[in-house]
Amino acid sequence: MIEAGWKVLAQLALLLVMAPLVSGWIKLWKARFQTRRGPGLLQPYRDIYKLLRKGMVIPETASWLFAATPYAVFLVTLLAGLMVPMVAADTPIGLFGGVLAVVYLLGLARFFLALGGLDAGSSFGGLGSSREMTIAALAEPTLMLSVFTVAIGGGSTSLSEMARAAIGQQWHFLVPSQVLAFAALFIVLLAETGRLPVDNPATHLELTMIHEAMILEYSGPYLALIEWGASIKQLLLMVLLINVFWPFGLSAAWSLTGIAGGLGWLVVKLALLSSAIVLVETANAKMRLFRVPELMAVGFILGALALVSTFLL
Amino acid sequence: MDLLHNPEFGEKVVTLMAAFVLVLQMAMVGQRSLLMNIRLFGAQSFLLALIAAAIAWYNHAAHIYLAAGLTLAVKAFIVPVLLERLVERIQIRHEIEPIVNVPFSIIISGGLTLVAYMVGTSFYHPETGGASLGHNTLSVAISIFLIGFFMMLNRRKAMTQVLALLSLENGVFLAAICLTYGVPLIVELGILFDVLVAVMVLGILVYRIRETLDSMDVSKLRSLRG
Amino acid sequence: MPILLALPLIPFAAGIFSLVARTRRAMEVANLAAFGITFALALAGAGEVLRSGPVSMFGGFLYADHLSALVCLLTASVALVCSAYAIGYLREDERIGAFEEEGVRSQLRKYYSLTPLFVSAMLLVTLANNLGVMWVAIEGTTLASVFLVTLYGRVTSIEAAWKYAIIGGVGLSMALFGTVLAYYSGHQVLGTDTLAGLNWSVLAGKAGQLDKTTIRLAFILVLLGYGTKAGLAPMHTWKPDAYSEAPVPSAAILSSAMLNCALYGLIRFYILTSRCLGADFPGGLLLLFGILSMGISVPFVLVQRNFRRLLAYHTIDHAGIMVTALGVGGRLATLALMLHMTYHTVAKALLFLCAGNVSQHFESDLFDKVKGGVIRVMPVTGVVFLMAMLAIIGTPPFSLFQSEFLILRAAVGEGHYLATALFVLFGAGVFAGALLHVGGLMLGPGNQPTLRGLRPWRELPMLALGGVLIMIGFWLPAPLLELIRGAARVVTGD
Repeated sequence: MIEAGWKVLAQLALLLVMAPLVSGWIKLWKARFQTRRGPGLLQPYRDIYKLLRKGMVIPETASWLFAATPYAVFLVTLLAGLMVPMVAADTPIGLFGGVLAVVYLLGLARFFLALGGLDAGSSFGGLGSSREMTIAALAEPTLMLSVFTVAIGGGSTSLSEMARAAIGQQWHFLVPSQVLAFAALFIVLLAETGRLPVDNPATHLELTMIHEAMILEYSGPYLALIEWGASIKQLLLMVLLINVFWPFGLSAAWSLTGIAGGLGWLVVKLALLSSAIVLVETANAKMRLFRVPELMAVGFILGALALVSTFLL
Repeated sequence: MDLLHNPEFGEKVVTLMAAFVLVLQMAMVGQRSLLMNIRLFGAQSFLLALIAAAIAWYNHAAHIYLAAGLTLAVKAFIVPVLLERLVERIQIRHEIEPIVNVPFSIIISGGLTLVAYMVGTSFYHPETGGASLGHNTLSVAISIFLIGFFMMLNRRKAMTQVLALLSLENGVFLAAICLTYGVPLIVELGILFDVLVAVMVLGILVYRIRETLDSMDVSKLRSLRG
Repeated sequence: MPILLALPLIPFAAGIFSLVARTRRAMEVANLAAFGITFALALAGAGEVLRSGPVSMFGGFLYADHLSALVCLLTASVALVCSAYAIGYLREDERIGAFEEEGVRSQLRKYYSLTPLFVSAMLLVTLANNLGVMWVAIEGTTLASVFLVTLYGRVTSIEAAWKYAIIGGVGLSMALFGTVLAYYSGHQVLGTDTLAGLNWSVLAGKAGQLDKTTIRLAFILVLLGYGTKAGLAPMHTWKPDAYSEAPVPSAAILSSAMLNCALYGLIRFYILTSRCLGADFPGGLLLLFGILSMGISVPFVLVQRNFRRLLAYHTIDHAGIMVTALGVGGRLATLALMLHMTYHTVAKALLFLCAGNVSQHFESDLFDKVKGGVIRVMPVTGVVFLMAMLAIIGTPPFSLFQSEFLILRAAVGEGHYLATALFVLFGAGVFAGALLHVGGLMLGPGNQPTLRGLRPWRELPMLALGGVLIMIGFWLPAPLLELIRGAARVVTGD
């Protein structure tokens, strides 16, 4: 058994190392699907390295918030990431409220990001922040409904408990409420990580930017921290999706063999989920902004159905 | 563990497929593109045939296979093909705004699902006989029926009204399967034949409406009053 | 009993033949001959039932008791009369150019092949024992008659056909659900014996043991479903359009025979429900829909400008009357229902034939265009029309007055005072409206030259029906009366 400190370090290392890898994988396969060669798998690492060494340009109108935001986003997201079961059902940190704490930590990060976008005083930043907050407001009910569905299924809001309960039940992943909650959370994943069809992560056109608009003014190490933080958030949400619904290979405790097995399964499942995301992104065009509520409504209905199904199906 | 003979697995799979059928029905309510609607209907019928086959397998009721196969052939292939050909000839591909807008109509569908659950659980007592697979599949069937009804009222294009009618039929089929292992074969044949003829008849009518009115908007059919 | 098999098959064969026939003459002859034979067979079948009770074939798959035989006979007779009329009517239509240019032959072919298929489906409705097959047959009648409604290809025809198809389709889906539920309710009692479990005769025998909640739900759905086919309010909106757009002989068949078949389906389910739950629950619902239908038709009859739509609303009114009779229950009301069904079939078909003559001669359906004085322009038609109208709105001493009076007596006897009062009120409203409009149409100075000479195809069937109408007001042939009594006994169960 490894003590708590080692657990924290191990999970931190995993988060920091795997997050850019996942982003790279998605970018690579998107390119391949479009019959391009695409950037290499390790390109995000090179990008982060490059940005960390570059000089920064800070707008004159920026305040202390501008400097605080990247650190806040990065650290808060890491903290949330420590509460998610990655290779073992037992999470290194368990704050009061479990999954709700994760959701609201991510919300805190988004709050800072939005403020940071407004801080520079440019219209793009404001545009991005307002759009981001709109979509977040629409995605939040869905997120809550799905989370509560899973919590009811697992008997507690603590993520370790949920994962353990999921391991214990046979055919757990076939129960309709779980499947519907998974579908709803997938839509939320698309919205929160800024993927097509909600937001295009590769664009810098005014009409289509959301996430990119908020961080337009950032450069150098600040930008590196924000980008890294965004990919950690993406990894976190994907891990949440995977390990709560399909807990194959999650070991019950932190033993060496357990971790190795868990890591292997994690890689496989992440690859599958990333492929699903790539398929969705390639098959869809970006939705017009006022159509996004309809997608969120679909997610909401799925989430509501999931919650209702726990009692009725 | 032998999946194919484990009744618990079977029950979970059937319940899951029934939930998907419900989701597809709701997707039909919110879908704007006519071609997608037709394909959703085809997918829904396909799933229904699978559910029938699964119930036949796990309950050792061999006579449902024929009904499942016929449903597959007629409602999952022939009818969508006929309707797609019709859409090709008519050249109208998109629905105009429905009477109640999309998010609100999806919420109404959710409410109708709840009503269906209340109705379904009020008289279906599985321990006294009937199909023993698929928990609350009857409620899903009733909700498909109710949502199809709502779709009929909410949409204005003639083609979507035809699809709504067909999904009413789907709901009754699912209800028959889970209540009584389906209706007798001769009745099933008759019903499928009727469905096929109805699609052809309605298709011809839709074509004529398009020709004379130059649109498929049935709210323009208002010349007969009083 | 091969009669049971031959009855639906012969018109079916005639329909298929007309699809491929070369000349109009061949189609006309095939239709007329087929319906003649069917009528004779229906008579023979009724005789058989009277002699030896319910007959069945194929192990109970086809089944005819007094009720089936009565409705079957009514259908066959209407079909025969209308096919004779149609010959003259369609020839006249061809002469005045009412058909589209794209080929008179194909229009005629449509009529002459669809009508026998339509009638064959209706006959199957009455003869099928299996409730599911009965449903399939009723849906078949809808599908066969949709294109009859669009025969003239006008924009309004297509609108009428669309409403008919969609509203009918929705209603029939509900009825199918009800049928499935009825099957389920018998499932526990009868086990998983698939085919016999939906047979009406089997279910009726075990009706006391059926699951009560399920039967309740099933009856509601079937009432809504087959009520849509019958044209009960509030599912009646397709009726005026369909009846005014279809060619007159089809409208005549729709309004008399098709109505009877829809009511037949309702009655079968009513018997099952009342034997399972007692007569109060279904009776109350039936009363509600019946009185509502009568009430809804009143304003539309009073303020009407098109005499074919007037007849349609009138049919809704009478469907309401018959359903009210069924709902009142008891022996007197049920006897009155069967009498009313018989009389109404004759009178309504006659009315449509007369209206067809008028509308064809004046080339319009509107009261304004015809302007009155029909009795001077077309003496034969005018007289018969006026008489038939008086009969159908319930003027004594015509037959319908007797049946309506019996219904009222039964209603008072069973204690439904409010229903009786509303019945009288609405009946008076319809009486006034119809008399006003048709009287105005018929009487008064004519503004066109009088039509001389008898037009055999169109006027002889009319006169025959008129004669029958007068006769049965005063004297019902004993076998017919016995058949009617037997039908009533099937419903009340003794």
